[in-house]
Amino acid sequence: MGQLRADGRVLHVDLQGETIRARTGSMVAYEGKVDFKNAGMGGGGGFRAALKQRVAGEGLSLMEVSGAGHVMLAEDGQYVTRVELNNETLTVEADSLLALTQGLQTDVKFIGLSNLSNGQGVATTVVSGSGEVALLSDGPMIALSVAGDEVFVDPQAYVASQGNLQMNLISGVSWRTFVGEGNGEAFTQRFTGQGTVFLQPAERGA
Amino acid sequence: MLQLDQTWTAATLPENDNVNPYAFSVALNGSWFISKGAMIAYYGRITFEAIAAFASREAWVAAQFSSPIYVQDWVVANGQGKLVLADRGFDVNSYDIDAGNLTIKATNLLAFDAGLELKQSIVPGFVTLIGTGKFLASSNGPVIFKEPPFRADPEALLGWADCPAPSHHHDAAWMAANLMSAAQGIFGRTSGEERQFDFTGAGVILLQSSEMTRSDPATLRLIESQAAVLPVQQKQTLAQRLTAEVQQSQQQQRR
Repeated sequence: MGQLRADGRVLHVDLQGETIRARTGSMVAYEGKVDFKNAGMGGGGGFRAALKQRVAGEGLSLMEVSGAGHVMLAEDGQYVTRVELNNETLTVEADSLLALTQGLQTDVKFIGLSNLSNGQGVATTVVSGSGEVALLSDGPMIALSVAGDEVFVDPQAYVASQGNLQMNLISGVSWRTFVGEGNGEAFTQRFTGQGTVFLQPAERGA
Repeated sequence: MLQLDQTWTAATLPENDNVNPYAFSVALNGSWFISKGAMIAYYGRITFEAIAAFASREAWVAAQFSSPIYVQDWVVANGQGKLVLADRGFDVNSYDIDAGNLTIKATNLLAFDAGLELKQSIVPGFVTLIGTGKFLASSNGPVIFKEPPFRADPEALLGWADCPAPSHHHDAAWMAANLMSAAQGIFGRTSGEERQFDFTGAGVILLQSSEMTRSDPATLRLIESQAAVLPVQQKQTLAQRLTAEVQQSQQQQRR
């Protein structure tokens, strides 16, 4: 049992003196003696992270939540999913990160121009260490496992990936056919390796 | 409880069933027609091809997909694997047609198997599926089923099965107020609720529980193709009216 508990569109946080980091402005209610303060530069990731965020436009804005009590977090009625990390890395778009517990570090990773197609940044947020992360999704999250095989995902539905995964972008002949009027998928993300890919049942910007 | 209680694999993803109320997993073994943008993920060996390209090799496609204005919005998914489909987080449901026909709003149709034939409905913005097979449709909120006689709001209407195509019904008060302007050829004064679709006969009507629709890129193509029958003078009149309307709405935006 952890500190974070996802309940539909709300995240419950139990604090007994610990500090967690949560998306700025996501607190909807709390009881007990709890302090909220800005996590500082780079969402608490330090100066280097702040600089990289500025360059990459990966806007991660977090607050530090500490004390003893019960906090409820939510964002725009999006669904909340709790993910446990055990000395692993989780790659997530900054917009989909709701909260993370102590013992986890955040950093910004450049992923090149590959994600330009979907209007997301050229960089993504990497969470590493051991602890719990709460993710946001438009509709209930779908987790797809990758274990030696491969899975193909629409970048507009992609939210996060966990584990030892390689991602490359496919824009093969079969994919060009999706380009055209309306919101066709110009690219697809191909994941191989070992891990889990998280996606939402809705396309961003659709 | 809608919780993340499972991590799916290619083997455990449902076979032609919902993953959750907003996503559906198709066990693909052959060909399905897929609306562009509906695919959110897949496992397996699946190719996606434009209908026109696919039809040049497989002649049956041209016979199954009989609607030139929608061809650009659809692809053929071919191969073996699991295909996950979703639409803007709307409810996704599957329906089976057994030697029957069903007409559905084109923008709410996500996919259908190759046992069904698609034709353009007489009602603009709607397509008819004929044959035996499965199709997927999205709705904003759960689907409501009704039987005629029934009048439906055009935005909430998803489709109908077995009953004759609907006729327009205009609110009596609106008609009285607009008869004069109608006689002068000035339409377009709408409060939003004065026009309904009127269903008669025996059958089933499908409604979504909201009036949220997606803009249909095919509407423009449809109107364009219909405008082609107008003589040049009438085309000019239409062009002038449209220009005036665009200018008017631009001026309103500025204010």
